Amino acid sequence: MMIEVANLTKTFRRGTVETEVLKGVTFSVPHGEFIAIMGASGSGKSTLLNILGLLDRPDSGTYLLDGTDYSGASDEDRSAARNRKIGFVFQQFHLLDRASAVRNVMLPLLYAEDGGGDGIARAGRALDAVGLSHRRNHLPSELSGGEQQRVAIARALINDPRLILADEATGNLDSVSGAEVLDIFRRIVEEGRTLVLITHDREVAKRADRILTLGEGRILADDDIRSRATDARPGAAPAT
Amino acid sequence: MSRTHRIGRDVLASLLSHKQRAFLMMLGVAVGVAVLSAVIAIGQGTSARVMELVETHNLDMIMVRAGGDVQVFAPTADRGLSTLFPEDARAIEKEIPNIDLISGTQNKRGINLVYEDRSAITRMFGVEPDWADVRHRSLVAGEFISNADMASMARVAVLGDTVAKALFPEGGAVGRTIRVENEPYVVKGVFTLVGSTSEEDFDDRIVIPYTTSARRLLNRPFLEQIVMRVTDTSRIPETAERVRALLRVRHNIGQGRPDDFFVREPQNVADAAFRTPKMLFSLMAAISIVALIGGGLVIMNLMLIAVSQRTREIGLRRAIGARAADITQQFLMESLFVALMGGVVGVALGLIVAWGLDAAGLVVSRITWVPFVAAVAACTVVGLVFGVQPARKAAQLDPAASLSGRAA
Repeated sequence: MMIEVANLTKTFRRGTVETEVLKGVTFSVPHGEFIAIMGASGSGKSTLLNILGLLDRPDSGTYLLDGTDYSGASDEDRSAARNRKIGFVFQQFHLLDRASAVRNVMLPLLYAEDGGGDGIARAGRALDAVGLSHRRNHLPSELSGGEQQRVAIARALINDPRLILADEATGNLDSVSGAEVLDIFRRIVEEGRTLVLITHDREVAKRADRILTLGEGRILADDDIRSRATDARPGAAPAT
Repeated sequence: MSRTHRIGRDVLASLLSHKQRAFLMMLGVAVGVAVLSAVIAIGQGTSARVMELVETHNLDMIMVRAGGDVQVFAPTADRGLSTLFPEDARAIEKEIPNIDLISGTQNKRGINLVYEDRSAITRMFGVEPDWADVRHRSLVAGEFISNADMASMARVAVLGDTVAKALFPEGGAVGRTIRVENEPYVVKGVFTLVGSTSEEDFDDRIVIPYTTSARRLLNRPFLEQIVMRVTDTSRIPETAERVRALLRVRHNIGQGRPDDFFVREPQNVADAAFRTPKMLFSLMAAISIVALIGGGLVIMNLMLIAVSQRTREIGLRRAIGARAADITQQFLMESLFVALMGGVVGVALGLIVAWGLDAAGLVVSRITWVPFVAAVAACTVVGLVFGVQPARKAAQLDPAASLSGRAA
């Protein structure tokens, strides 16, 4: 399994107010699966993604990433795992605005164990894979939103991670650019990677193999949609 | 390439792509370093100038002359007073602190010198080996009188420029044998030209070992002078007084009786020459330290603002694998590089100012490696010290919160 999560809980405290964001979440994702996590805002999906991405720790429960439990690991080990095993794609792209596309793509190599070897060549190949080799020396401000997100995807891929975590990756894009990004995601999965896509858009979620619906900090539904690719009634009842 | 090396390159690239921000950050440090390096250049120039004054005017020398009457200027004739002896010099050397070098001297005018068909009449000094350093006399050729020469009462001589030119107009005096009062002496060295002063011609001299003078040439033990160099010029009056007290005891001079010697100390010129630049120097050094601290605070505050503005960037870096330690390193390097760039600009500015003031005749400055080393050291300290807080703040940001912009 790429991801194995059991009884995850997470509570945030702001002053005296406690908000229980995750109330015992259990699921697993096999290698090579494209899974969408859906839920309204406040459903806990971002918190779950942060825990899956080793950016945050759960209060209780277990999380095995590719069979390894990082809950008690040092910052160094967790950072190394983020660098090597996980690629992030964000709604806001999070590109360095004064750096060219190729420099943005190379950024994760800064923190790579081996230094990444010939980074420029690797970044070039990664940009190729998202169809942007002709834009390598452009600044983010000179690229369209869809192109910026493709640069961000190339950045997520440069260390050849097994898991891609995408947080509302199409949320800031027009429908054409969004579709391009989803095509790239599908291709990434076909290469054998696991992809977790957070979205509140059912049309986007339908491109995945499986939809996990989150609400009130719990899993409300877990639908494998590969067999019935056309079944997309809004608010479909959980098929558990 | 190591991780640190890669992060360093990334920081440089980032600074280069944010030139305006980098420029503002380094400005304060540049001003501080400019003042600092100008202070150093001017300070070094001034102290070199003061040293020159000390050497040309013997401002670090106390002289004791035989005879009790006040003699501000050198006596114009030999007087043959037998009041000072080599034992007085040894006692001063042994009992009085702050004396660095000392030499008893005998002298006599009208000494006859002959080399081949040339001759000269000059003034002879019989001295000890420290004498050349006490009087700041250097040699253009050969060597000065040694302890061995003293022990063996060697017939060796060091010639002043005037004498050397009179006997050896073609040069090459060292190693030749001349006749001094008809006795053969080997020329051991030649003094550098002093240049005549209104008082007398210091180049019209022949200098031989004291022992040779006392036992072979003059046949008498007593001295005309004892000259000594002090370690600390600010304590000259006190030291001179102690010399005077010691000699009165040694010479059995009863209360109310006048001295049979005269202690001459340099005028207060020395104090004045030191005090003014010292005060100016301390003032400017204080200003440069304040300016450097100010520059450091500028860096720190601009970096703290930058950390807030760059929260998302920090979150992103954490997400793609940066450890908290890498973030610390990134921001520390940033402040260090900015401070060092400020240092380079500052040294250049400061030295141009120092050089300009020198050229305009307002100060004396001397440019050496010292301001460069001082600037690098000061900037390293400023960059690291004032970078610590922003770097810690950046590293402590919660990665998840900073990505969503909540940590700002």
